[in-house]
Amino acid sequence: MITRTLLPADLRCVVTLGIDFDGPSHEVGRGIAPLGIHSCGRYSARCGIPRHLEMLARHGVPCTFFVPGYDARCHPDTVRAIDAAGFEVAAHGYLHEAWELGEEEESQLLRRTDDLLRELLGKPVLGWRSPSGRKTQTTMRVLKSLGYLYDSSDKDYDLPYRLRFGRGADDWMVELPNNTYSLDDFPFYKFSYTPPSEVLAQWQSEFDAIYASDRFFVLAVHPRSGWGSGTPAHTRVLDQFIGYMRSHDGVQFFSSGEFARWCLDHPQHLEEVAIP
Amino acid sequence: MKPYAWPGGARCAVFVSVNFDAEAYDLLSTTESWLFGRFSYGRYGVRAGLPRLTQFLQRRRIRATVFVTASDAERHAQAIRALSAAGHEIAARGSDLKPLPSLGAGEGDALRYARDTLAAIAGSPPAGFRAPGGELSANTLRLLAELGYQYDASFQDADYPYLFAPSDATRLAEVPGMQALDDAPVYSARHTHARLMKIWREEFDALYDAGCLVSLTLHLRGDMGSTRAARIAALDGLFSHIASRPDVCFMTGAELAAHALASGLAPEPDPMALHQETLALTPYRGDLAVKPI
Repeated sequence: MITRTLLPADLRCVVTLGIDFDGPSHEVGRGIAPLGIHSCGRYSARCGIPRHLEMLARHGVPCTFFVPGYDARCHPDTVRAIDAAGFEVAAHGYLHEAWELGEEEESQLLRRTDDLLRELLGKPVLGWRSPSGRKTQTTMRVLKSLGYLYDSSDKDYDLPYRLRFGRGADDWMVELPNNTYSLDDFPFYKFSYTPPSEVLAQWQSEFDAIYASDRFFVLAVHPRSGWGSGTPAHTRVLDQFIGYMRSHDGVQFFSSGEFARWCLDHPQHLEEVAIP
Repeated sequence: MKPYAWPGGARCAVFVSVNFDAEAYDLLSTTESWLFGRFSYGRYGVRAGLPRLTQFLQRRRIRATVFVTASDAERHAQAIRALSAAGHEIAARGSDLKPLPSLGAGEGDALRYARDTLAAIAGSPPAGFRAPGGELSANTLRLLAELGYQYDASFQDADYPYLFAPSDATRLAEVPGMQALDDAPVYSARHTHARLMKIWREEFDALYDAGCLVSLTLHLRGDMGSTRAARIAALDGLFSHIASRPDVCFMTGAELAAHALASGLAPEPDPMALHQETLALTPYRGDLAVKPI
């Protein structure tokens, strides 16, 4: 068994793009009516998603849309349009839960979102990203029982790995770790009010370093207004950044689901980790 | 995405809105007898800021829309009349800055009082409304329509103005804003005006190219507002940049609303309809929001 994930040389650099839908679920889940200053989630379905779909189609790159179940219920046509455009739809909580859940409640919510997305799209859901970065061993167990191939929520590594959650032979899932302090849009637009061009420069420098070392790049953005990337200036940054990555030799874009499949087909390349 | 038809075939429309928020804002944190020292930034906005801003707007030949509470309008009636006389639109912002959802059954009275007070001071009832703190109750849109308001300017959910139908018979235009084009969050975080102007220039360029509404929100205040001399100078640089682009039209909130109401756009469904049931079952967790350190 290898001790460190090593991507083969022919995978010069892997990029997975994720768009976390984060519509009105973000506010409604906190008991806030999505009105006025709390209406940025309404921008996702109306403007942000169509703008992102158009931009991604122009680049011809895959992308995974992580959708809270509640948003799928509110905007089924938008979620169908994402799927019809050939992009992966994965799960992202029900009401964008940003608090700790009891085991029973968590299991119910994971199933509820899975049922909704599965019914809406007529196919299985392959992956999940925690809506606030919270997850437990229970999360993994339930996701695995629902047939999920991967999780993309842990922040503990720069490379994909096999995350073990039990002792059984099959008690593991592909983990595609992300980072919501730098490889995300909201820290810059919500906290530091960074000008869009400087967000682009930040992501470019992240990409340069990763291209030169670990060769695995995971970006997460949001189609909402406010702290998201749905608005014209913020989508432009994303557009320019994708162009920047594409201009590098050997960069391969995968949806998270496709890359999880690659990982499952090449387990010998992936480090296995058991978190006690 | 379908482009919006701006008047006269313009490429994009710029909406300059001003949140007056003088003593009304300081009084959210203190009482009348303490309106000195740290609680006098609101008064700065009226004494020092307003003359500077109005001269700037006059030089640029821009008519702004000024959202003002009834309480501030009563304190500064002369200034409101002068703004109106100079061609700026006077619009409502509640009776004071208490969040509307906290008013309960008194919300209708507050919105009526705001309308009647501005009508008495400015000479005509306000067409527009922007909610204090951007907070609306489930009843606000219906109340606004019943009271004869023509538009709200509190949402942040669209690239263009659109319509609500608070009842079968009424239409209310929405003139949405954008957090990135509001001076207060950035200045509240103590960022420089150079940084804000860099953000706004990049936001404007992209909105212009996409043909969207450029919905600027300025505050008068001396702390998180745009009226200090250096900030007006910075703003002047931005407006020179805007002026260098062809086919930009400047519109007031009332003009944007009238344009949307006359457009034949289909109204949006009630923004609460989908959510009432879930909200009734969901505890308030607004305090979970991660705040900047």
